[in-house]
Amino acid sequence: MSADSATLTPAEQELIASATLADPAVQAQPHAFYRALRHGDPVHLDPTLNSWLVTRHEDILAVQADPLTFSVNKGYHTQQARGMQDEYQDILRRDGGGYFPDAIMSDPPYHTRIRKLMENAFTAHRVKDLEPRIQETVVDLLESVADKGAADAVKEIAVPLTIRVIVEQLGLDHGMEDKISRWSVAVTAQIGRMQNREQMVEAAREICDLQHYLIGKMRAREANPGEDMISDIVHAKIPMPDGTVETLTFDEAVSLVRAMLIAGNDTTATAISNLFFILATRPDVAQLLKDSVDDERKMTRFVEELLRLEPPVRALSRMTTREVELGGITLPEGAHLLLVYGSANDQEEVFPDPRSFDIDRPNIGRHVAFGGGVHRCVGLALARMEVKVMAREIARRMDNIKLAIAPEDVRFVPTVATRTIEKLPITFTRRSA
Amino acid sequence: MGNLTVTMTDVKGETSTFSDVDEGVSLMEVAKAHGVEGIFGDCGGGCSCATCHVYVSTDWMAKVGQPDDIEFGMLDMVSDVQQENSRLSCQIKMSAELDGVEVTVAPASAY
Repeated sequence: MSADSATLTPAEQELIASATLADPAVQAQPHAFYRALRHGDPVHLDPTLNSWLVTRHEDILAVQADPLTFSVNKGYHTQQARGMQDEYQDILRRDGGGYFPDAIMSDPPYHTRIRKLMENAFTAHRVKDLEPRIQETVVDLLESVADKGAADAVKEIAVPLTIRVIVEQLGLDHGMEDKISRWSVAVTAQIGRMQNREQMVEAAREICDLQHYLIGKMRAREANPGEDMISDIVHAKIPMPDGTVETLTFDEAVSLVRAMLIAGNDTTATAISNLFFILATRPDVAQLLKDSVDDERKMTRFVEELLRLEPPVRALSRMTTREVELGGITLPEGAHLLLVYGSANDQEEVFPDPRSFDIDRPNIGRHVAFGGGVHRCVGLALARMEVKVMAREIARRMDNIKLAIAPEDVRFVPTVATRTIEKLPITFTRRSA
Repeated sequence: MGNLTVTMTDVKGETSTFSDVDEGVSLMEVAKAHGVEGIFGDCGGGCSCATCHVYVSTDWMAKVGQPDDIEFGMLDMVSDVQQENSRLSCQIKMSAELDGVEVTVAPASAY
């Protein structure tokens, strides 16, 4: 423990000594725990998770800058179905068409080649071209609930939006929102550390179902390519350092299509759920949105500050490939780390008065909601666009958004990986034009 | 191997000149290929992360041109270190017209 511990309150000392990120109550309201760790034990071994919680902004940046010492490949695949990995992988091999390790959750130089394939799909300029279509989808969804005056913002708005957008990009079938939502939950649960064996088996069955669906689509696009991202991936050519060109193996391609479908939809839906929560509970932010809606620069900052304040992805994994010092602690080789983005975004030395919603922060781009370094979220421009269009259309169409339950009754999905509102009943009025 | 020239001053103040730059390559790619300090290019050139921020030498600004709205929005994310001549180097593609261009790597946004 560092020298700072002298300045900790007894309550903070108690949190460091006994709290764990495996506790759903801590997961739901984590900021006091994060703060205690940042000040008292910034690289903290959580004994329940057997993972080191990296909670300070500067330490997270140091990890992100050294992807060979801090391996995503080992970190992610160690975390996946941790404690039940053999059985998990056996189920997928037996019933799911195969166990396909995530090709994007890898280390350089292999990662660099895979990542290049994905980068071109979601540049900010390409995503700008998608804006009108995203806008239509958002308007459809909001109009479908606008006259009811009440909705579950998660299940009726946020989740269907992000699924519809990615389904179109991949060229998958519409009308499968419930199924794709279940599949997303199942995949995400594998890095959440909160499932028992029964839940793992149930989730693995869902993932088998998902993989069969995707494999069927991929086989079809192999024969008949279309103007969609599955076709792009199935027929992708990877330039190698020696000048030759390789194609993806089928296993790699399945893992990438799966990642494309799952990675962006749940997290972006969470950002939109958070947007509704904050509009329903902070009248000042609701007013700020109304005042900013016609100002592109302010809207961009509004979205960024939302992501800073409530990053959907709480913490992702790394594993050390050698003994290394981090934040004054010597970590052994093979140490599993969680980079706690939610804590870094709340660090008062980086973002003064961190719980306030301040779109004028001069260093707003320093937040780590999208991670950073070579593994920075590849779909970030699409995520920003979906949230921005949603915020804009909410401001134009809805008013008086209120929670239909008490704020303390809002439940969060039990997981260390994200901070995700389970359901969010709201009431609202239609804004007169 | 191309024959265009780029001069970059890295974030520590060290200046290098590269004279074998191809047409169509972005300044971010040039910087990454030569390990120029302070240029990260996290998003891979997608104008989405502001980790390849440079100041274009005033003499070259007219030829390099102003950022478009999307790029301006990203530069605004690091407004504490943004200047009139700020650009994201991933959005500057080399051409004969830019032969000899000079840029300085901008510092990271402050704490």
